[in-house]
Amino acid sequence: MIDRISSGFHPFVLPFLAGMIFVLGYCLYGIIKILVQLPAEDRKRFFISLVTPKTFLKNIRDIFCDCLLHVKLWKRNRLLGYMHSSIAFGWFMLIVLGHIEVILFLPHRIHLFYYPIFFNFFVAETDSTIQGSLLFFLMDFFLLIILSGIALAMIKRVRSRLFGMRRTARPSLLNQIGLYALWAIFPLRLLAESFTAHISGGSFLTEPANWVFRQFLGNNLNMLPTWWAYSISLGVFMFVLPFSRYMHIPAEMMLIPLRNAGIKIRNARKGFARVEVWSCPNCGVCIDACPMSVDKANIKDCTVYLTRQIRRGNERRIEEISDKCLLCGKCEAVCQVGVEGPALRIMTRAERKYALPQDYSSIPVESLTEAAKGSKVLYYGGCMSQLVPSIGRSMESIFRKAGVDYKWMDRDGGICCGRPMFLSGRIKEAEEIVRKNESVILGSGAGTLVVSCPICYKMFKEKYTLPGIRIVHYINYIEELIDAGRLQVTRSDLCYVYHDPCELGRGAGMYEEPRRLIGRIAGIAEAPKNRSESICCGGSLGSLTLSFAKREKMTRNALDNLYAAKADALVTACPLCQTTFSRYADRPVRDIAEIVDMQTVGTITKTDSI
Amino acid sequence: MFLTMKENVVIIGGGIAGMEAARQLLLLGYNPIVVEQKEQLGGHVGKWHRLFPDMSSAQDLVRRMEEDISEANIFLETKVNSINRLREGYQVMLSNGVNIACRAILIASGFKLFDATRKEEYGYGVYDHVITNADLEAWFNGNADPRIPHAPESVGFVHCVGSRDLKAGNSQCSKVCCMTAVKQAIEIKERFPSARVWCFYMDLRLFGKKYEDFYIGAQQDYAVQFVRGRISEVSEALGGQIQVKAEDTLTGKPLRVRLDLLVLMSGMSCNPEMTRLARMARLDIDSDGFLKSLDNIRSINESNRPGIFFAGACTGTKTVPETLAEARAAALDIHRYLQKGL
Repeated sequence: MIDRISSGFHPFVLPFLAGMIFVLGYCLYGIIKILVQLPAEDRKRFFISLVTPKTFLKNIRDIFCDCLLHVKLWKRNRLLGYMHSSIAFGWFMLIVLGHIEVILFLPHRIHLFYYPIFFNFFVAETDSTIQGSLLFFLMDFFLLIILSGIALAMIKRVRSRLFGMRRTARPSLLNQIGLYALWAIFPLRLLAESFTAHISGGSFLTEPANWVFRQFLGNNLNMLPTWWAYSISLGVFMFVLPFSRYMHIPAEMMLIPLRNAGIKIRNARKGFARVEVWSCPNCGVCIDACPMSVDKANIKDCTVYLTRQIRRGNERRIEEISDKCLLCGKCEAVCQVGVEGPALRIMTRAERKYALPQDYSSIPVESLTEAAKGSKVLYYGGCMSQLVPSIGRSMESIFRKAGVDYKWMDRDGGICCGRPMFLSGRIKEAEEIVRKNESVILGSGAGTLVVSCPICYKMFKEKYTLPGIRIVHYINYIEELIDAGRLQVTRSDLCYVYHDPCELGRGAGMYEEPRRLIGRIAGIAEAPKNRSESICCGGSLGSLTLSFAKREKMTRNALDNLYAAKADALVTACPLCQTTFSRYADRPVRDIAEIVDMQTVGTITKTDSI
Repeated sequence: MFLTMKENVVIIGGGIAGMEAARQLLLLGYNPIVVEQKEQLGGHVGKWHRLFPDMSSAQDLVRRMEEDISEANIFLETKVNSINRLREGYQVMLSNGVNIACRAILIASGFKLFDATRKEEYGYGVYDHVITNADLEAWFNGNADPRIPHAPESVGFVHCVGSRDLKAGNSQCSKVCCMTAVKQAIEIKERFPSARVWCFYMDLRLFGKKYEDFYIGAQQDYAVQFVRGRISEVSEALGGQIQVKAEDTLTGKPLRVRLDLLVLMSGMSCNPEMTRLARMARLDIDSDGFLKSLDNIRSINESNRPGIFFAGACTGTKTVPETLAEARAAALDIHRYLQKGL
């Protein structure tokens, strides 16, 4: 291998060079901006995580698996997984191999960072070695892989259904420019390398192509324009990258270390949120997932459009989208990058100023604390248990049958868990409520807090500080009672389909326990969309603006999914899901506590608490 | 033709609308065929105790109406399986195997009492002492009900249960429950003079003849407490009493009462059985789920299909006198329709 061009430079590299410098400059600016925007303690935490070997290794592994190999996407959809990893990993390998080539054959050129990209233009092959042939083979191989990915991408653009996506996000103008530039890069590279292959050498792809072209072209006149075109398409891509969805390529490499450092969204526009917004690849997986998008409605309110509007700074739409969402968390569950749609929205809501501040300081806690004293087990039913009295009743019956000495903390009036306030973004008010409840619970002297509403449960788990108190969901508690032999269950012939409530499943990660418990007392069938893909019942407290009529459509859609299991009845573990479904369901909707109570016999009367 | 057989008219529903229409059609010289799902005629009114404003016996009314139509063909415990369009008229197939060819059908299928278990927050079917207006009437008629204490000291009535309630899927007002609540509150006071009686309402719609007199009487003579405000919470206190929390929006104060009995004024909702049949006969269904009249002013009795007529609560909530008047009007409409065809 020798230098074909003694200066080591040709003007055609300029578009690429300018684009590359622009992208690197923009990324540097982005990194500095984000670091400045992060709160000081988060910044410190981030830097520490970078030098901690464990998180460092995790960062490397996650970046390699998520950004290059798209392992998560493979698990979800192999075709999409192949398409993305072929382009990302293939391109990465081309860059790596390009560098190896330069290091091996022209080490004095390594300081020119366009050299590995345009290697084949600048060299002339003098003799062929094993190493050289292998490298050329690998270059052609990965180029072929990428081209197959690009071909799939083109098919997907026309027929997204073949890839399991019913709807995709409508690309903005800059996204389209970026897309077509990206599609152009690799076919142009193939052409450019093919035209040069009789000088620079090539492999199974470029050499035959070179031979074919020379048969009817017979000259080298096409060489330079094609290299120019290749460089220009790279340049165009780099220039639109920061303003298009392709920003997710560099942003995700920032997002992963920040997330591994345990940093959370604290502001809807700045810092970590900005990285998440940049990391959104606009794939539109969240559109099909969103329960609001039933009947092709509200598509523009999905998370993919939220990130787009945040980038555009369209405040009116940001508010609209943030207020409408049910906060069911499904977009987050299906997101390949991990954009936290709900958290972005809650933080947007938190920006709002209210004319009337809420003041809860006058709520007395003394009388509530007195009423809660005297038992080791405290039961918190939540506001919803007043609207669905059968749950509280069943819990009382279960406690009685198992001989548990308990106190129902909010039986006769209590304080809300604070979650509704938190979901509407009034975090300070929510915290005030939380402090009140904490004082009641800590003052009661109880050691176990049993919670039956998953909305409250999530709040207790995440936002409460209750040292020495075990917060337990009633499903777990009932299982413990059964395992300890204090509750005897019989089996029913009925078959139930279990609906995963958003707050319990995606919210608290409880998927197995409810199924195990139902399985002990009755038959269980599964709906097509279940567990983390479960469809929100439509009754969620999360939405501030969705009309009742629109919610009805969502509820009916969620019900159709459950009906597909062909069970005798529906069962869930959330009072809100239960009331919402009961409105339209064609078969009974029960709570797990209810069916457990129906299938238990009261035998043991010993009173103590676990 | 006029010397041969009397012409058939199929009447779907043997409640007061169907019976009254049958009576009129008999008088006009037709052969009405009444198809009733239940084992007896009379529908909801047949299970009621006394009717406002005269406090006359509902049972007497139904009995008299039944006597009036003794000559009509009546199929009890029978459903309509299908309605098929013929070249002229319809073929109605019944569940007992009878097929009837007729040129006119009267739908008098009435309403369905709102299922109070769907408003679980009021505790119907969960708490021991929560009943509906229909349960109370059945008890007035002498049916035992363990949910009603022997000597209640306090009784509450909740208005608009499943009426004017979007979340329950019923946006319409059921018209009669305000007055029924006033009537039942008075009847409770008559039986238990020392009991305190509360009515929780959002609006009182007392539009009919003498309704207002009842309302004033309930307050002046019977000391019934009317509270404007929807109930926020119903729970069961220890000992089985019902604890109700509400807001008195006229005084702006929260209110908490313990009751021995809570009566839910279940409203009227559309009859889903009829909706199924209407789809089969390609009849229009209105946005509230009830059958859709040709128009709501002049042609309430007419449907979008020729020869199919409506009477009573199948097109919307109605009082008893309104239903009876409509039944007569429908009979006349049918008569006119059949005459025109001759």
